[in-house]
Amino acid sequence: MTNPPILEAKGIKAGYDRGPDILDGANLTVSPGQILCIIGPNGAGKSTLLKTIAGLIKAREGTILRDGRPIEGLRPDQVIKHGICLVPQERALFPTMTVRENLRMGGYALENQNIIDERIEDVMATFPVLKDRSGQLARSLSGGEQQMLAMGRCLVLKPEIVMLDEPSLGLAPKIVRQMFEIIHMLRDRGLTIITVEQNAVMGLENADWGCVLDLGKTLFEGPADKIIQDDRIRELYLGKRAKSA
Amino acid sequence: MMEFLQILIFGLALGGVYALMASGLTLVFGVMKIINLAHPIFIIAGAYISYWLFKLFGLDPILSLPIAFVSMFCIGVALYKLVFQREAGNPKFIEMTVLLTFAIALSVDGFLGFLFSNTHRVTSPSYSTDAYIIGELFVPKGQFYAGTISIVLIMILWLFLRFSKIGYAIRATTQNRDAAQLLGVNVAYVSTITFGIGIALAGASGALISFIFSFFPAKHWEWIAILMSLIVLGGMGSLLGAVVGSILLAVIAAFVGDVFGPTWSTMTFFLSLFVILLVRPQGLFGEKIE
Repeated sequence: MTNPPILEAKGIKAGYDRGPDILDGANLTVSPGQILCIIGPNGAGKSTLLKTIAGLIKAREGTILRDGRPIEGLRPDQVIKHGICLVPQERALFPTMTVRENLRMGGYALENQNIIDERIEDVMATFPVLKDRSGQLARSLSGGEQQMLAMGRCLVLKPEIVMLDEPSLGLAPKIVRQMFEIIHMLRDRGLTIITVEQNAVMGLENADWGCVLDLGKTLFEGPADKIIQDDRIRELYLGKRAKSA
Repeated sequence: MMEFLQILIFGLALGGVYALMASGLTLVFGVMKIINLAHPIFIIAGAYISYWLFKLFGLDPILSLPIAFVSMFCIGVALYKLVFQREAGNPKFIEMTVLLTFAIALSVDGFLGFLFSNTHRVTSPSYSTDAYIIGELFVPKGQFYAGTISIVLIMILWLFLRFSKIGYAIRATTQNRDAAQLLGVNVAYVSTITFGIGIALAGASGALISFIFSFFPAKHWEWIAILMSLIVLGGMGSLLGAVVGSILLAVIAAFVGDVFGPTWSTMTFFLSLFVILLVRPQGLFGEKIE
């Protein structure tokens, strides 16, 4: 990795409430303008790692550095001010708010509330379907549209780092391809993207950098194409599809 | 026909006041999942504020309503910070709030009883015994004012929730707490403000009921059951539900009272609670629990 990391997590230990550690020494490094994909089996702690970075879960140990400055221990509403936005699994929309109201909530943290409408228009230009549906309740959207709304809602803030927790979950293959096109488009605009993917092969194929997590520990970090090639990782985490690929 | 209209008017006016009493309860449940059994004792506390301001300074209860609102808001904020905030992340929070608020209700009830005794009180501004006579219809001014002011306050609350920045945050937190947090909402702050508003609404409705009902500290036990049935009918957490539920049940209770006698009108609330839970547990406007 040539550029200094935009986000770095080192030796993270974290868990829910008073429960055991789900993360037990997780590391992650991402350079600006990269797509990083975190892979690993169920229960490896992939979502927990994203939630810990976002501040929803407090790290019990370890540091999280944003451009070298520590941000661990901050609340989510403080983390977001560092330009880091998480789109959680299952989208987490506000079901009985309209599309426009959901987007408006996306700009909640903006200091200058007068620019919200302008930002919403920008997002609607990126996702024209949201403009067509702007008066509809979020819960009436299809799965793909909901995912676009969730991503659009986070873009209202113009974050530098977008974390997507299983963006392809529950979507039809065609929509999943569309989703990855959007992710590439965002990267081309200069955003740094961190995704968690259950479908590891597809996730890595669409990423620059990969991170393999198992039992709460980071086993391997490196260029995504190298991870796909690595025999050991292919056997353990990428399943049969990778072998035939 | 005239009798029908007459009863409808009584029902509607009372329904408006019930709606204001229930709005704070449903708001607090919606945002924080606190089942606030202490809500009615704060209505009584609000009523005492208006009672004493009227008794000592001759201040009209409608004019002292803002004072009751603001004082109860401060009490609500302090109470949330002292009692609820620490445990807000606890997985057993909802169950705990039932016991906590029950304890608060008992303590405040005891405290008010100690201060003011259990004597029945009522504020008596001139309009409380006056009425508009329209043809054969009789509209008691007190109930008319109380009902109208309640509906106006609920409309202000609705506008506040719909258009203000904090209103957006309150609605977002109601619908998805984690997502709201991830978008920069300080949920602890929103919860504190919402709890304050909930208790402030109790205080405001206390000012209004002070001239339409006689009250004493222990009366809140009677009201909690009525208020719970109103918000369960409407759908817990739904403001629109609380308004529709309140007006519907108050009107039905007025008719039941007229046909079967006043003793039976209270039964309307409990019977309907029973029926709603059997037929449509999520209430009229509530989200179905999956």
